[in-house]
Amino acid sequence: MDMEDARDALVQEARELLAAMEMALMQIEAEGASNEAINAIFRAAHTIKGSAGLFAFERIVSFTHIAESVLDKVRNGSLPLDANLLSLLLECGDYIGELVDAIAARRETEEPDPHRRGRLEVALNALLGVDSPAAAPLTVQSASTGSAQIEVEGEGASVSSDNWHLSLRFSPDVLRNGMDPLSFLRYLGTIGTIVHIVTLPDALPDALVMDPEACYLGFEIDFVSSADRQTIEGVFEFVREDSEIRILPPRGKIAEYITLIHELAEPAGRLGEILVKGGALTATELDTVLAQQAAEPVPAKPLGTLLVEQDKVPQAVVAAALTKQKQGEEKRTQEQKFIKVEVSKLDALIDLVGELVIAGAAANLVAHREKHTRFEEAARGISTLVEQIRDAALTLRMVPIGEVFQRFPRVVRDISRELGKEIQLLVTGADTELDKSMVEKLSDPLMHIVRNAMDHGIESTEARVMAGKPIEGTLRLNAYHESGSIVIEVSDDGRGLDRDRILGKAIERGLVSPDQPLSENEIFRLIFEPGFSTAEQVTNLSGRGVGMDVVKKNIEALRGEVEIVSRLGQGTTVRIRLPLTLAIIDGFQVMVGDSQFVIPLELVIECIDISSHDLRHNILKLRGEPLPFVRLRELFDLPDIEHVRESLVVVQYGQQRAGLVVDKLLGEFQAVIKPLGLLFGGVKGISGSTILGDGRVALILDVPHLVQRTMRASTALLSHQHEKLNR
Amino acid sequence: MPLTTLAKGEGAQFRLDGELTIFHAASLKDALIAALGEGGPALTIDLSGVDELDTAGVQLLLLVKREAARLGRALIYSGHSAAVISVLELLDLAGTLGDPLLIPNASR
Amino acid sequence: MGKTILIVDDSFSLRQTVGIALKSAGYEVVEASDGRDALGKLDGRKYNLIISDVNMPNMDGLSFVRAAKQLPNYKFTPIIMLTTEGDETKKQEGKAAGVRAWVLKPFQPPVLLDAVAKLVLP
Repeated sequence: MDMEDARDALVQEARELLAAMEMALMQIEAEGASNEAINAIFRAAHTIKGSAGLFAFERIVSFTHIAESVLDKVRNGSLPLDANLLSLLLECGDYIGELVDAIAARRETEEPDPHRRGRLEVALNALLGVDSPAAAPLTVQSASTGSAQIEVEGEGASVSSDNWHLSLRFSPDVLRNGMDPLSFLRYLGTIGTIVHIVTLPDALPDALVMDPEACYLGFEIDFVSSADRQTIEGVFEFVREDSEIRILPPRGKIAEYITLIHELAEPAGRLGEILVKGGALTATELDTVLAQQAAEPVPAKPLGTLLVEQDKVPQAVVAAALTKQKQGEEKRTQEQKFIKVEVSKLDALIDLVGELVIAGAAANLVAHREKHTRFEEAARGISTLVEQIRDAALTLRMVPIGEVFQRFPRVVRDISRELGKEIQLLVTGADTELDKSMVEKLSDPLMHIVRNAMDHGIESTEARVMAGKPIEGTLRLNAYHESGSIVIEVSDDGRGLDRDRILGKAIERGLVSPDQPLSENEIFRLIFEPGFSTAEQVTNLSGRGVGMDVVKKNIEALRGEVEIVSRLGQGTTVRIRLPLTLAIIDGFQVMVGDSQFVIPLELVIECIDISSHDLRHNILKLRGEPLPFVRLRELFDLPDIEHVRESLVVVQYGQQRAGLVVDKLLGEFQAVIKPLGLLFGGVKGISGSTILGDGRVALILDVPHLVQRTMRASTALLSHQHEKLNR
Repeated sequence: MPLTTLAKGEGAQFRLDGELTIFHAASLKDALIAALGEGGPALTIDLSGVDELDTAGVQLLLLVKREAARLGRALIYSGHSAAVISVLELLDLAGTLGDPLLIPNASR
Repeated sequence: MGKTILIVDDSFSLRQTVGIALKSAGYEVVEASDGRDALGKLDGRKYNLIISDVNMPNMDGLSFVRAAKQLPNYKFTPIIMLTTEGDETKKQEGKAAGVRAWVLKPFQPPVLLDAVAKLVLP
């Protein structure tokens, strides 16, 4: 997404708004004026003008501005919306359309039809009570309008200082209005240098009556800058109305200093000292000022109005150059590159595609049962298309993960500064796409992991030097697709996780019992347990608010999983694995008794006939390797059937494998995931449901949960046996 | 924006954490004035946990400092966080609110 | 630490363009398409600034600002209102609601960034 795209979006949006405007005008013509319709027209013009202004498309801005002024009069009732005005507005809409077309054709600097424009402007201005079109004010306020103001040399002696002097007394309400004098001072620092500042707490009242939300501080500032007066005044544009902002230019008049001292509440002597100390006045000049002030007190005329006189914004001369231009023939070449679609419409489409997938499966089933070859062929053809439609529909919601990644360069920069560490960020795989709905939910967990890595993972500069590592730590964000999942990695080259320390802490916290045998991976996963924190010292960044347990919960809510790989002293990688989409999966259908289940196909490794295998202790030897398994019949408490020839489906999640024992293998199947109702919401091992071609419901197995559960059960069993042997 | 009491009575110690801004200024003013009331002749307020400071916060620090002086108490701000230091530098208030004797350069 | 700005405007392209400008200046941006949408986004997260249009469907900018000022977490949040020439009465209403920062529409991104920089501490 860059400015060119934004420009295309502007064209698209303007066309939509013009269509809406036209529709509202037609409606008024047919049914009479309504506030709603008038507002809609006004908003359309308002929005087009606002967006066009962002790109300095002056032609459209100035024209729409006049139309908007007329509409404003209509809106507040001072101008009746009669038939003539209706057709004038319709014509104006058409002309704005031409201006928009010109933008689309990259010819925005040319006036499409100066003659027509002139005629419309005259008609509009007549309604505004403006005679000459030249009097129409152009309201474009661009950064470049501020022209250097030449200080006119007037009568009276000047001071010798080359600095600006700023005297600021903010309104008591400034803080309550959401404005902080500090931010103005910081901003001032970006257009010059504050050489001297005195913060005046004099107005701070007694503790009893002091209102902590009111502003009492005043500031006297000496400032070096090449900026012009308008720019410096502009710093205070939002507070100028109710605050006392006095700006004295370099080599300002002695008289102005007299007025300054005269008008401020602080005692003259004290202010004088400040001015001398900051270099605004020399001691001699101050003496002159004080002497003159005593002699001829200046009338209490608000200095602000005197000094803050602004240059009038130069009246825009309406472009009267009647340059003849050929209407661009290739106007339409820049056709719409994208259309804006409401997410709800997209979701409705995806729902429909889901239904189509189910209906397609039903047709397949019928074809198969009828054993009608040509029907079967036709059904297969349709299935292929349905599959493609499904994939195409899902890609509509896919966005590059770069959308999430793009905020991190700034985050890393800020946090590393805050931590006093040097950290470089490497981003790879930003093009990797995932479902839009996940992007939004991924942002916070990633932020937390990144902060954690920078705070606890990457060592301090000293520690890195001691460890013989490069001073600059490296943080890496990476994303890639892997067998139907998207994998997102956050890696650091920091100190790595200390297995023993984590285990110790977990035992201390009562998260695990000391004699529980745990793999390294399982130990690392403990940091995701609620209430776990390895950092001795809770720092500002990671130690506050949410913990890693929230990260895990968020990821699991997306049917994803978090995994940690870490090497002591070398670094840590947090790996998030998420399904590409939340809507439709390729499934593998199995049966246990009368119940049907679906296993996400990408997690199925192979299917084995197990009649000849030794099935003791829920562990099976597969090609020499032990494979723990679980019987779905036992797991879901389904009735026993005799003489059934069981099969085993080997599934894999992450690096772990497990077996699921079922009665019957039914084959591949596209499953449209429906959320679990109340009935199954609490059942572990089920992640969703789907409707089969024949209308029956099948449950989708939660493989990550099942794999973990199976692993745990077998580990517990092994250790139990181990203990027995040791006794 | 909690004010934590670390030690009471003689040599009382307090700590400010989080945002020292207008959003919390009202409740904090009361808490700080109360802290002055219960403290002994000398008290310390640790600012190391302050991660945001605005004009309202600066005013409070000035007010409490002045109020302490009025009551004849020695009030010392210590452990200035980076956020606090940067504001004090901007406003040239390090002399007033910095209590530099207690923040040697090495600790920064 | 990242500064977050809530931008409320019914124009998708304005939000997008302003969003690009703000993001390139290092701010984080949350978008809302009208006052009602924006109110829903005042859910406890911290905004360093709110930029809101005046004229919007569903809930206009001033009603939104008045509602926001009732919420303890947002009552002092700086607000920039995007206004047009003809909005003088709105401006008065806005002033009563505590709005002081106005940026005249149409504007170019640097003008808004400048205004933002005056209100948000770096």
